[in-house]
Amino acid sequence: MTRSSLLALVVKIVLLAFIDAVAVYAAFFVLLQGNLVATVAILVVTALINVVYLARRRFLPAKYLTPGLLFLAVFQIFVLLYTGYVGFTNYGTGHNGSKEQAVSSLLASSLVRVEDSPTYPVTVVDRLGQLGLLITDPEDDTAYVGTADEPLTEVDAEFENGKAVSTAGWTSLTFQQVIARTAEITELAVPFSDDPNDGALRTPDGSSAYRYLSTLEYDESAGTMTDDRGVVYSDIGTGAFVAENGEELRPGWQITVGGDNFVRALTESSIRGPLLYVTAWTFAFAIGSVVLCFALGLLLALTFEHARMRGVRYYRLLMILPYAFPAFLSILVWGGMMNESFGFLNQVVFGGADIPWLSDPTLAKVSVLLVNLWLGFPYMFLICTGALQAIPGELTEAARVDGARGWNLFRHIKLPLLLSTTAPVLIASFAFNFNNFNLVYLLNNGGPRDTTTSLPVGHTDLLISMVYKVAFTGQNRDYGLASAFSILIFVIVAGIAIFSFSRTRALEDIQR
Amino acid sequence: MTTTAPAPVQKKLPRRSLVAWLADTGWRHLVAIAVSIFAVFPLLFVISSALNPNGTLTGSNALFSKFGPDSFIRILTGNQTPYLLWFGNSVFIAAVTAVASTLMAALAAYAFSRMRFTGRRFGLITIVVIQMFPQLLGAVAIFLMMTAIGDIFPVLGLSSRLGLIMVYLGGALGVNTYLMYGFFNTVPVEIDEAAKIDGAGHARIFFSIILRLVAPILAVVALLSVIASFSEYLIASVLLIDPESQTLAVGLVKLVSNPRYADWSAFSAGAIMAAIPVVLLFLALQRYIVGGLTAGAVK
Amino acid sequence: MKVTRTGLLGLGAIAVTAAFVLSGCTPGTDGGAGTGGTLTVWVDAERLDALQGAADDYSEQTGVEVELVGKDNATIKDDFIQQAPTGEGPDIVMGAHDWLGELTTNGVVAPLELGDSAGDYLDVAIQAATYDGTIYMLPYAVENIAVLRNADLVPEAAASFDDMIAAGKAAGLAQPFVVEQGAEGNPYHLYPFQTAFGAPVFGSTDAGYDATDLQLGNEGGTEFAAWLGSQGKNGTGVFNTDIDGAIAKQAFLDGTAAFWLTGPWNVGSALDAGINVAIDPIPSPTSDAAQPFAGVKGFFLSAESENKVAATDFLVNYLGSEDVQLALFEAGNILPALSAAADTASSDPIIAGFSTVGADAVPMPAIPAMGSVWQYWGIAEAAIINGEDPAATWAKLAADVSAAIG
Repeated sequence: MTRSSLLALVVKIVLLAFIDAVAVYAAFFVLLQGNLVATVAILVVTALINVVYLARRRFLPAKYLTPGLLFLAVFQIFVLLYTGYVGFTNYGTGHNGSKEQAVSSLLASSLVRVEDSPTYPVTVVDRLGQLGLLITDPEDDTAYVGTADEPLTEVDAEFENGKAVSTAGWTSLTFQQVIARTAEITELAVPFSDDPNDGALRTPDGSSAYRYLSTLEYDESAGTMTDDRGVVYSDIGTGAFVAENGEELRPGWQITVGGDNFVRALTESSIRGPLLYVTAWTFAFAIGSVVLCFALGLLLALTFEHARMRGVRYYRLLMILPYAFPAFLSILVWGGMMNESFGFLNQVVFGGADIPWLSDPTLAKVSVLLVNLWLGFPYMFLICTGALQAIPGELTEAARVDGARGWNLFRHIKLPLLLSTTAPVLIASFAFNFNNFNLVYLLNNGGPRDTTTSLPVGHTDLLISMVYKVAFTGQNRDYGLASAFSILIFVIVAGIAIFSFSRTRALEDIQR
Repeated sequence: MTTTAPAPVQKKLPRRSLVAWLADTGWRHLVAIAVSIFAVFPLLFVISSALNPNGTLTGSNALFSKFGPDSFIRILTGNQTPYLLWFGNSVFIAAVTAVASTLMAALAAYAFSRMRFTGRRFGLITIVVIQMFPQLLGAVAIFLMMTAIGDIFPVLGLSSRLGLIMVYLGGALGVNTYLMYGFFNTVPVEIDEAAKIDGAGHARIFFSIILRLVAPILAVVALLSVIASFSEYLIASVLLIDPESQTLAVGLVKLVSNPRYADWSAFSAGAIMAAIPVVLLFLALQRYIVGGLTAGAVK
Repeated sequence: MKVTRTGLLGLGAIAVTAAFVLSGCTPGTDGGAGTGGTLTVWVDAERLDALQGAADDYSEQTGVEVELVGKDNATIKDDFIQQAPTGEGPDIVMGAHDWLGELTTNGVVAPLELGDSAGDYLDVAIQAATYDGTIYMLPYAVENIAVLRNADLVPEAAASFDDMIAAGKAAGLAQPFVVEQGAEGNPYHLYPFQTAFGAPVFGSTDAGYDATDLQLGNEGGTEFAAWLGSQGKNGTGVFNTDIDGAIAKQAFLDGTAAFWLTGPWNVGSALDAGINVAIDPIPSPTSDAAQPFAGVKGFFLSAESENKVAATDFLVNYLGSEDVQLALFEAGNILPALSAAADTASSDPIIAGFSTVGADAVPMPAIPAMGSVWQYWGIAEAAIINGEDPAATWAKLAADVSAAIG
């Protein structure tokens, strides 16, 4: 074994050891949290990694693929699974958290201060671990103490500035101690008297207490909420407490709803009208963007592929500049330039014309494509420049000897080779533009608005931006429905992509 | 693509005729100038806005009506805009991400190109198709994931630059892998075989021979990766809570996120300075991207 | 070879594991038992400076660390709603009162007890901070729009809308009055004119706005629509959907417009540009007052905060103090919500001008139904400005909104 292979071995061992250590620690931690599935998953994956890298002359492809796949699985596939999961829940406005969170939020909001009750200066006190409130009645400066179980009773106390600060048998908490026991203090309600209708004292900030009555009662065993009018709200499996007359208490909580979201997505009637033209435009936009960007990028790459041309370096630099600035900044600039009455294009370039760049349904589509061309051609230029290097020089030389020139040389030799390397990029670019929400949203918000439908859909809206408008109406965010829509769109895009892959030669090797 | 100027003409005349010049390089300059104007003129608004300290971004067509470096000074010295810190974070995150993801993608592309195994076709398609998933809930999912990871390893949790890099590496295998795969395929397999006969192992062939031959595509992919992580906003804004850990994209957007107080001038100034590393990197990588190395090596 | 490899590996693994477990244990107990814990406060990036002093003071006095996080104003609400249930969200978040419907529906905010200090705030601020009878927000500022006048171009305030246009034309201006619109309209900035015709969005009861009583489409609304059409593209051209925020601002700064209907947030740049700014009431197109919306800014307490006691203390007793309210006022130039601070701030003629207009202002509805209104409102107004039939468009707006509210 040479020195370099020994070094490689050492590096390998240290890296593997590091991964194992991290994994063991993580598995241990996750086990403590009680998450058995995750523990097993971590251990199995780690074991597999060890097997892959320790086995000699076996699992060779896996040795090369594992690093990338690992990150891909943890982050990309997790996102996919999570979105898929949300598609089967009612996650959205009003169903934002867990049931416990909803219950505690409902109970907290149901507290109403007893009318005309004063502010009671308070000191939080402790007796053998049990918290109590030492309060001062502001009317007659007498001190009372009480706990969650015992209503207030009058006590003798020491006063400071008219506030009872300590009393015998109780330890007064410092502010730091109060903060440290926030959870207990937030829960603490000291009954004002034996009559529950007098309410209970609570201290939100540790220094003043107020008397509250609750308008909602939670019955944990029955799982129902009862309000002060006696109406019973019960959990009937819809992710909220519902009264018999159908009235719902908000917030509710997240539950899984099976395939409901998919059914709604497929039967949603409000999108029926615009669905056809939005789908047509989405395809036109995605295909048009890819073709335009690729054509310009390729044209430039070919233009600059010339040894004798001066200044190529600087031209190339200018070409990638659009790519080096934040896209949303550029999109806003374009939006401003396309303003009908004041924009740069109409006022300066076209000398005071009134071209409705963004307000005419047809022209707006052209404008969106133009802006996307500007945003996208540098990428294709870079890709094509790189891919052109992959065309072996002797191949073009041979073709030249055979008499191929200019267009023919390009059409029959370079283009097929280029397309086979860049086909996957084109397919991916198609998919990206199919879901290019940001451009459409920032440039014109899908406008000009189609005023004939009741959906806020416009003439440049893509499928993805239209379904967002369906799922996110007004203040209502329906993540469940939006996820279901995303998954359906993904199925379409992925289907097209897989089909296209099967039609390209991209998967086949060229030289074998 | 082609040189149609006949060689004898060039010899006879001290200066080529206009027609010949046009046919040879002239049209190239015309195309280049036209596209340069298209590429650059929206950016003039950005530059004009950066130089006009009190200006709006698109409110006026009178470009460069005012000149002043105030916005640059404002953003470099502002109390709430630790610009240089953000800059450093961005450079660090982009650099590490670019190196690691280019390497990971190259490793995968090598396997796909040179080895035959079950699931190869499926794998190739999958890595591209997965990236087509609409990222509607991406930020929420990543946030949940990173808080879980952060509970175990605080150094990778929220506000961690390393954590963000890991998230970015999740996208290392993707369409760029494909691009590399196509490029790897053009490297003749005889080179590998010759090295194998000389006794080199697969790792040695990959690291010391193949990687050098595919330098142009490595440079392209690294550049794309740098640009992508430099401008990535959504995930970075959710994960990097601590102002000291934020990237340029996150920090700058805060300047303009509230339309009522949007400081477009400072934002533009910041964006211009943020483009500098990308431009420098491109200049540095250009000679790899447009070849030179491959031409000699691939016989 | 194989033995060495495995041996080395095991050794390495044990060593690194040990190192990691050791180092991993220490941060596990972090969380600050000795100190009073940490309060995380999300604030608009541009208000960070103003709060830093109060945060530092509080840490010093109580040992509670206050971590201020400047957030992107555009995503702060959605981020908060998404992150609160995970327990990783902030303890306190800065926002506006019209978020209340959404925040309470999602159960992410906790009620806030202002105690006796509730009386120290402006009435409109407390009204806005109250939702369903419960206070959820510590208000810090009240804002509304008014007319900024370039006093060098037009020295006198205008008595009515037509007066204003006439005065501007007399000064030789082609477009004397600008107001921010856009392709999708901007109903917030047109609302004063709508109220002048007697068409509020919702009717109100003692408990606040009543979602079942949509007033938008009443007779006054139709009159307003007709007037808007007459001032649009096919009429006088006073309103133009091509005038967005940037163009309106530039026109006023360049002196090509003498009147600008906007909020206090733009006064700073007008003064910086050397304009002699006066603040006027909004000239009404009718004999009734043009009432703008009042927006109240404030702080919310997260329902999932594990530090509610300190958070409440920090909010009510520190951020509710006159010093902090004045500091926030200086950062944003908008009227403080605390009466005492508002009085101090009103010594500034600009603020006094806005607060005079604000006396007529009505709180922007926070009820969830308002979301459905916003969705259709602007686009209908934009269509009317651009020459669509006013009465029919307005009727469709009212129908769409009531259908969406359900």
